[in-house]
Amino acid sequence: MAATTTAGTAVADRRVGRARLSDRARGEQRLGWMLVAPAVAVMLLVTAYPLGRAVWLSLYSYRLTDPEGREFVGLRNYGVVLTDGLWWQTVFTTVVITVVTVAIELVIGFAFAMVMHRIVVGRGLVRTSILIPYGIITVVAAYAWQYAFALDSGFVNEWFGLDRSWFAGRWSALFVIIMAEVWKTTPFISLLLLAGLAQVPEDLQEAAKVDGATNWQRFTRVTVPNMKAAIMVALLFRTLDAYRIFDTIFIMTGGAEKTESVSFLTYRQTITRTALGLGSALSVLLFLSVVLIAFIYLKGFRTDLSRVRGE
Amino acid sequence: MRSRRTTVLWALGGLAIVAYTILPVLWIVSLSFKEGDDINNRKFFPSEWSLDNYRTVFDTSLFTSALRNSVGISLIATVASVVLATLAAYAIARLEFKGKRWVLSTALAIAMFPTVALVGPLFDMWRSLGIYDTWLGLIIPYMSFTLPLAIWTLSAFFREIPWEMEQAAQVDGATPWQAFRKVIVPLAAPGVATASILVFFFAWNDFVFGISLTATDRARPVPAALAFFTGESFFEQPTAAISAAAVIVTIPVIVLVLIFQRRIVAGLTSGAVKG
Amino acid sequence: MREAARPGGRRRPDRPRLLPAALALALGAGLVACGGAEGSTPTLTWYTNPDNGGQAALAEKCTEEADGRYRIEVSQLPADADSQREQLVRRLAANDSSIDIMSLDVVFVPEFAEAGFLRPFTDEEARPLVEDVLDGPLETTEWEGEVVAAPFWANTQLLWYRRSVAEEAGIDPAAEDVTWDDVIDAAVATGTTVEVTGARYEGYMVWITTLVASAGGEVLEDADAGRDAQPNLDSPAGRRAAEIIRRVAREAANPELSTAIEENARAGFQSDRGGFMVNWPYVYQAAQSAVDEGSLDQAVFDDIAWARVPRVDPDRESAPPLGGIDLGIGAFSDHPDLAVDAVACITDLESQVEYMLAEGNPGARAAVYDDPEVREAFPMADLIRDSIDTAVPRPRSSYYPDISAATVREFHPPRSVDPESTPADADRLIVDVLQDRELL
Repeated sequence: MAATTTAGTAVADRRVGRARLSDRARGEQRLGWMLVAPAVAVMLLVTAYPLGRAVWLSLYSYRLTDPEGREFVGLRNYGVVLTDGLWWQTVFTTVVITVVTVAIELVIGFAFAMVMHRIVVGRGLVRTSILIPYGIITVVAAYAWQYAFALDSGFVNEWFGLDRSWFAGRWSALFVIIMAEVWKTTPFISLLLLAGLAQVPEDLQEAAKVDGATNWQRFTRVTVPNMKAAIMVALLFRTLDAYRIFDTIFIMTGGAEKTESVSFLTYRQTITRTALGLGSALSVLLFLSVVLIAFIYLKGFRTDLSRVRGE
Repeated sequence: MRSRRTTVLWALGGLAIVAYTILPVLWIVSLSFKEGDDINNRKFFPSEWSLDNYRTVFDTSLFTSALRNSVGISLIATVASVVLATLAAYAIARLEFKGKRWVLSTALAIAMFPTVALVGPLFDMWRSLGIYDTWLGLIIPYMSFTLPLAIWTLSAFFREIPWEMEQAAQVDGATPWQAFRKVIVPLAAPGVATASILVFFFAWNDFVFGISLTATDRARPVPAALAFFTGESFFEQPTAAISAAAVIVTIPVIVLVLIFQRRIVAGLTSGAVKG
Repeated sequence: MREAARPGGRRRPDRPRLLPAALALALGAGLVACGGAEGSTPTLTWYTNPDNGGQAALAEKCTEEADGRYRIEVSQLPADADSQREQLVRRLAANDSSIDIMSLDVVFVPEFAEAGFLRPFTDEEARPLVEDVLDGPLETTEWEGEVVAAPFWANTQLLWYRRSVAEEAGIDPAAEDVTWDDVIDAAVATGTTVEVTGARYEGYMVWITTLVASAGGEVLEDADAGRDAQPNLDSPAGRRAAEIIRRVAREAANPELSTAIEENARAGFQSDRGGFMVNWPYVYQAAQSAVDEGSLDQAVFDDIAWARVPRVDPDRESAPPLGGIDLGIGAFSDHPDLAVDAVACITDLESQVEYMLAEGNPGARAAVYDDPEVREAFPMADLIRDSIDTAVPRPRSSYYPDISAATVREFHPPRSVDPESTPADADRLIVDVLQDRELL
């Protein structure tokens, strides 16, 4: 009954006049902005202004502890960074961490998503437990893994009959760092993939089965193509996140043994050394590299972000 | 026959997942109960279970004040962020206005922002505004970086809410604002809960802002405080005390996960990929 | 992280005591002491490096002596010197008025003074603070003609050796003209090690600067020129220092030298292969505790002897390193006058004696070493006093953290040091880093 009333009134309403509609539209316009404005203001306060300031500071040679020694140097700081071996070394380290982490996570994440999708017994338990690494504090996870691999307190050496000082070598330290990262963030990727799996039409699967496709063929020909969007979105988010890696490195190695990431290098110049000029140039470059990664995904791989926005 | 076998296989897969997620947690829990020479005996479990480390951390003002800061800051940031995000998400899901796409793109861009690139200038800004090393100084950046997540999650939820009811309310003479408050808010409550948890997780987890924008007990949150622990003597590592503190701050996470498992999964997936 | 930056002279004995408990006790006692005048008594906040409660005890003592004029509250900084500096710099850059007094590693005094973070002492205020202070620490207190910090305690390194090993090798390390080469030869002849700190951290810089200074050189020519200072490692003295580092690393060092910090050196020295070691005086008390705990043989302990750090050239006196803590007054403190009084109390002779006995950190005033209790606890008291008195500070530059990190970066790992190229590379890197032409 309510439905008919509504429909009736709506028709009447529409008939009352178009003139009021533009008023309404304008009101909606205003209300829309009023509702969005506070959120936009807070988001910009902490990003746009500091970013602008970083750009400005990056044109100076300036130490916080030597205000008098401040001098304008134009774009020299960028030249210094881009010709510095240390910068390229940290970029390399960061890219290695990002690529390896995301690749492993995609594989494990897919396996986890399949399990969560198909499992009957203990479904709730599995979905609950997978949220633990997601929710746990990154610093806590880093400590847990660090202590597990530590020479003095760790059980890993004991279990595998090793006597290795994991954090004393670049690649073994990176191995542990990557492991901790993978552990912590695979749940995120697997949940996104789980959502993607739910979108794969079941009848397509059945049809493929009837056609005699093997499990692997069904996976590569039906499942993956149908969730390409979900995969790309998951990859984009995780890539950007992995590229910003900081907490785990800070806790585990403090950047020793060439395990420094771009974020860590930036932090050290701006906060530890208080070399605000050079550090700001690094901040800007860090920001630009994140933009570049996003651009590659969006344009190069045609990742469809409208799905992210839910439009 | 076959389906039974696959059921068992998938269940085994599930078991593997549980083992994967729980092992490091068990390890840090077990480490937190170790004491003395046990800490360095390289065994997984303590030979004697001791509560000493918990006593130590609760006796340390470094930790207790950090815990207070973390709880307070995270809760306030969560409430503030979710309120703003609710308003914004409502507008995005329900209203037509110019610049909507711009708002969404901005939110997305901010979610991708490298936070470390901001802490330098932010530090400068905060000290001239006088909010360096205060709760507010952390609440604001937490809000900025959780708003995008909250806005997506909430607008995805809001889209699921039946249009007609709001329309009906408006037809019955309610203004858009009333329609929002009386009709949408109750329907949106589950979505708001989900967004709140995700925001809380972010604030609770933060480390970069925590170490760069604080300096004392006044505002330093737990993740940052952990890096400040000292051993009983200079060359001793505070391994066990850190573990105990780590376990304590993991408890709220586990509790939330246990209670809101469905909501969190729904929030993560619906916010990111329309499912 | 902790490994990356162990402070030079920082150290507390291994007594198993709960720091938090001690702090709480001390603070509690402080509260009781002036409970009545709570409201009107100004509180001075003293930012301290972590110790076993010695500074908290002094805060309590001086609060009592102030008799209601002020109350000192301690606030603890992170464990390693670099993080301590980072915290203080950030607070002070934010013009924080809550920092009344700070415990500052002596190497950071120039940087803080140059940035305007330290309230200078007037001549009148300074007089009692620097009276009878040994020459080494005295040098750390001044910046651009003003006294900006008060010596609280000082530190230096000694040559520690095993009597039996020295006898076997036929040298007397306590003789005046013993050189690094003699020590290395003795270690090689006896199949023992020369333990030093060679990890990539400040402790390695301590060793490098001592060698350069002992060879008659300086890391920086004009340290007070700030970012325009000229490094001078590529000099006869710098190259000589590099030669010794190379020799130690290749002929007589522990295989783990490139990750060795103070405690690794001590462990190596106490082991069967131990022969010689350059380290801070804390090792003596630490060895004693090890004996008490049963992890070290009394015989090994009795075998330990000490001498001044070796020379580089037989006819030039060695230059022992200098470490320690000065107290500074925050430039933005609301109670600078009271803070001066408090600093005077915390650094007076009695307090320094107390602190040395409680924490094992050597006093900065000469008379500390005349105290009978100190002489009993530290049989080598005179040697420590003499070493501190003639110690040479690390470069007194407002850019010291960068200079140290740049030097260590080029000199690490010790095995790779080449007298022909390493000092020159370090010079180049220091200039580039100071001029913002290279990342660090």
